[in-house]
Amino acid sequence: MALPIDQGGAANAAALGKRHPVEFTAAAGEYFRIWIVNLALTIVTLGIYSAWAKVRKRRYFFGHTRVDGESFEYRANPVAILKGRLIAVTLFAVFYAISHYAPLYIWAIYLVLLFFGPWLVVRSLAFNAYNTAYRNVRFVFSGTYGTCLGLVLGYGLLTLVTLGFGFPFLRRRLVQFAAESHSYGTTRFALAEGFKKLFVRPYFVVFGVSFLLGIALLVFFAGMGVVAGAGAKAGSGRPQWMPMAIIAGVAVFYALLFLQVAYIKARTVNAVWNHLSIGPLRFESALRARDLIWLYFSNLVVVALTIGLATPWAAVRAMRYRASKTTAIASGPLDGFAQGEAQKVSVAGEEVADFFAFDLAL
Amino acid sequence: MTEFEAVYYDGRTSARKPVRVRGYALAIQIVGDGLRLDVPLAKVRVDPPVGGTRRALHLPDGAQLQTDDQRAVEALFPRPHAIESWVHRLERNWLYALAAIALVAAFSWWSVVDGLPLAAKIAAGFVPVAWEAKLGEQTLGFFEGKLCRPSALGAARQRALQRRFARLTEGLADGYDYRLLPRNCRGIGANAFALPGGAVVVTDALVKLARNDDQISAVLAHEIGHVRHRHGLRMSLQAAGLAALATAVFGDATSITSLATTLPAALLQSGYSREFETEADDYAFLRLREIGLSPKAFAEIMLLLEKARQKTSGGGPQDYFSTHPATAKRIQRALNAP
Repeated sequence: MALPIDQGGAANAAALGKRHPVEFTAAAGEYFRIWIVNLALTIVTLGIYSAWAKVRKRRYFFGHTRVDGESFEYRANPVAILKGRLIAVTLFAVFYAISHYAPLYIWAIYLVLLFFGPWLVVRSLAFNAYNTAYRNVRFVFSGTYGTCLGLVLGYGLLTLVTLGFGFPFLRRRLVQFAAESHSYGTTRFALAEGFKKLFVRPYFVVFGVSFLLGIALLVFFAGMGVVAGAGAKAGSGRPQWMPMAIIAGVAVFYALLFLQVAYIKARTVNAVWNHLSIGPLRFESALRARDLIWLYFSNLVVVALTIGLATPWAAVRAMRYRASKTTAIASGPLDGFAQGEAQKVSVAGEEVADFFAFDLAL
Repeated sequence: MTEFEAVYYDGRTSARKPVRVRGYALAIQIVGDGLRLDVPLAKVRVDPPVGGTRRALHLPDGAQLQTDDQRAVEALFPRPHAIESWVHRLERNWLYALAAIALVAAFSWWSVVDGLPLAAKIAAGFVPVAWEAKLGEQTLGFFEGKLCRPSALGAARQRALQRRFARLTEGLADGYDYRLLPRNCRGIGANAFALPGGAVVVTDALVKLARNDDQISAVLAHEIGHVRHRHGLRMSLQAAGLAALATAVFGDATSITSLATTLPAALLQSGYSREFETEADDYAFLRLREIGLSPKAFAEIMLLLEKARQKTSGGGPQDYFSTHPATAKRIQRALNAP
């Protein structure tokens, strides 16, 4: 991807700043032991320990992520997380029960989720920011529920009216909201205008390719129908290869979905991080779609073949790739960030959001 | 005395200051460029250790020391947190990790084979019959109109079937609203199925396949067994439990791995339904005896169904993926039923 940033050349490398590649120093074997021991303890304690397990796993990942030699800290209190999880489990059980045994009232649930979802997202981001520190300075998320709800309703309506074509803009606006509402200490993150075009482009590439493939698939199935019809007339019955062809068609469909997800992820993450800055820092992200496709696919295969035991290895591997493609570039010293006013954030939002798989991750 | 290198942060900015820390019995002394600080050990809060990550010592007023000198921190604060320090020791040892694998494997095995079905059975006890009926109506809505139309059998024939069904359900004071729904379903062939809450659907093809009406009674008794044992509800609860379990174990890998758990889950489901079939069979044998019929009728209709199935599919061993246990075994059980 040709970025204005990349066109500097070596001559003004010094002017562009000091490069700090993100380091991820975790070892898969070590993380495996942490993962399996904590899983066993969670089982033995009937799930109560899961809060401590979550904090330990996060602390391991954060602690092994380094920029300029300093590591990140995850500071959440496991007792608070346990309380949040109890609330989350209760809500989820109610949600599940209603959607399964009283489906007539499902619309009420969706209505509640529509208004509750943005609250969850905002609270979850705030909790995670408050509990993340680097060089003993906390991150802060100051986005409000009102703003988030406005975006979801407004752009949600746009997405409906445009039959889904507004979706990239909904995502873009939410990601922008998430990024610009974060601060490191008292210093705000900023997202440059240039990210906008790059963020939505991959979606429309996918829309276009899907449209063409849809036509191709239609032709394919229509062709099969003609062949099958001819076979039936001739009295030879359905050809033997028909079920195989249908399975192959479905497999191709899923493979393409896989490609699209990886492609969109690589391009949108790059678009955001390459335009993100805070104080004297800016970032470079060089994720490649083909790398992500291989990463996701091989992780999936290995995790399946090891009946889940390779899960920690897969997680470390994914994070290592992400870190290896991300660089922080400092045009000045990183000593000048001031600590913000610390306001404690309650945990309920984060845990409930976790359960309902709301995610605004960058 | 312990002495180690660390980085000091004052709690106000991100500025780092390399310092030397000396640990004494009751306090630590922090010495750096323009800094000399004595802090009582009791005022220092240390995070429990995790893997080989850098240790943080939280000082009063939000200041902090960070160091990679694990040994020094351990010497100064041998057990910063009772439980987590113990967990940390477990995590460092491959032997404990192996023991943990064994425990997780044993638990997964137990919960899949016994735990989940048991939990689902207990949980089903808390679900009111009215809710269960709602679940049944939903499923019925899926069949009606799309797959099935009202039966094409004559009115007299249908009345005879209803009388048989009434006799089978007579006196069953279990709160279910038993109804027999004869239907003409395309593509399902000779079949019968029970829905949660008491609706039993029987296809015209099955009625025509049976040589006598006792055989139809045998099939209906089996379906009533499904209703009484709340199999539909329990199946849906087991599916939910299975999903929750899989998420708990594999949850923190990428979301893509959830795909990897779908197929095993489907296979397990088919295993569960085989157990349900056996349970429903046992009920059928009992009920047939109670109203003065022989479980042999069940064996006969199973044999007819099996023959019909072989004729259409060309036979072959497909028992593993079939939701019904090996038909021969079921026939044998019917013949041996007391």
